[in-house]
Amino acid sequence: MTKSKPQVKIVNCETGEEIVRDATAEEIAQMELDAANAVARKAEAEAKAAEKQAILDRIGLTVDELKMILG
Amino acid sequence: MPTTTNYSWTTPADTDLVKDGASAIRTLGTAIDTTTKNLNPETTLGDISYRSSTANTKTRLALGTAGQFLRVNSGATAPVWETFTSGGMTLISTTTLTGTSVTLSSIPQTYKNLQLIIRNADPAQDGYSLHLRMNGDTGANRHYTGYTLGVSNTAFNNDLWTTTGLDNGTSTFLLKTDIWDYTNTTTWKIASTYFIANNETTPANMQLFQANHAYNQTSAISSIEIRTDSTSFAGTALLYGVS
Repeated sequence: MTKSKPQVKIVNCETGEEIVRDATAEEIAQMELDAANAVARKAEAEAKAAEKQAILDRIGLTVDELKMILG
Repeated sequence: MPTTTNYSWTTPADTDLVKDGASAIRTLGTAIDTTTKNLNPETTLGDISYRSSTANTKTRLALGTAGQFLRVNSGATAPVWETFTSGGMTLISTTTLTGTSVTLSSIPQTYKNLQLIIRNADPAQDGYSLHLRMNGDTGANRHYTGYTLGVSNTAFNNDLWTTTGLDNGTSTFLLKTDIWDYTNTTTWKIASTYFIANNETTPANMQLFQANHAYNQTSAISSIEIRTDSTSFAGTALLYGVS
């Protein structure tokens, strides 16, 4: 079974013309890079959240309790 | 020959002969007629006149059209009738988000700012984001998204602008991005975004963000790519030009 390629759409704002086509190899490579970056960003955010939670656990406070103190 | 004080019309001298009186009166009359006409150039109902660069000669300004207002011209030299041009927003395009990438290209360079509205953005997979890329520029470290105002000494760290992860399936998502002074070619570009999205874990809950964006190129913004890192997305994008 052939895997379908991602589709890209290009809209010309001056003429209203819309082109929908398969992504080129270069665009697919960029998509994969974007996706990898997104995964890295998500992992970084999760690591930061875990680090924050670890600190909260050490001092024995919940996020809401900390917000109340700081608020 | 004597002349009058204000308009220098020629009048008979005291020593002129009576027989030349008719001619003198005719000369005076013609001069008065010419001056009067120069001071009153209007020809049609509603015409107005204003002082020209020539002394004692006014310029006719024909009546404008309905709704026009009188203003000073760009050279600040004369009044002109001007058609009232309203400010506000012009819808440039309405586009359905489909596939993985939608590019709004050939954006008219005739507005002051751009406003992008995205409704119901819905990635095919949970937790994937929506991204904006200016001018198809995939160069590293040219875009920046921040959720805090007033950053300083901060590096551009991305190749696109990005939202947080979005829920798939349920989407009452709404985003507004203002891109300021997008046609200038001498400054970096800035934009601000508000968006509300369904929380990816508990879709009935919201995530509400204000994001600030920067793009460190001086070229005018002529295209905006809206993309997802999911396998596909849905939603609607409306691009407005702001006058």
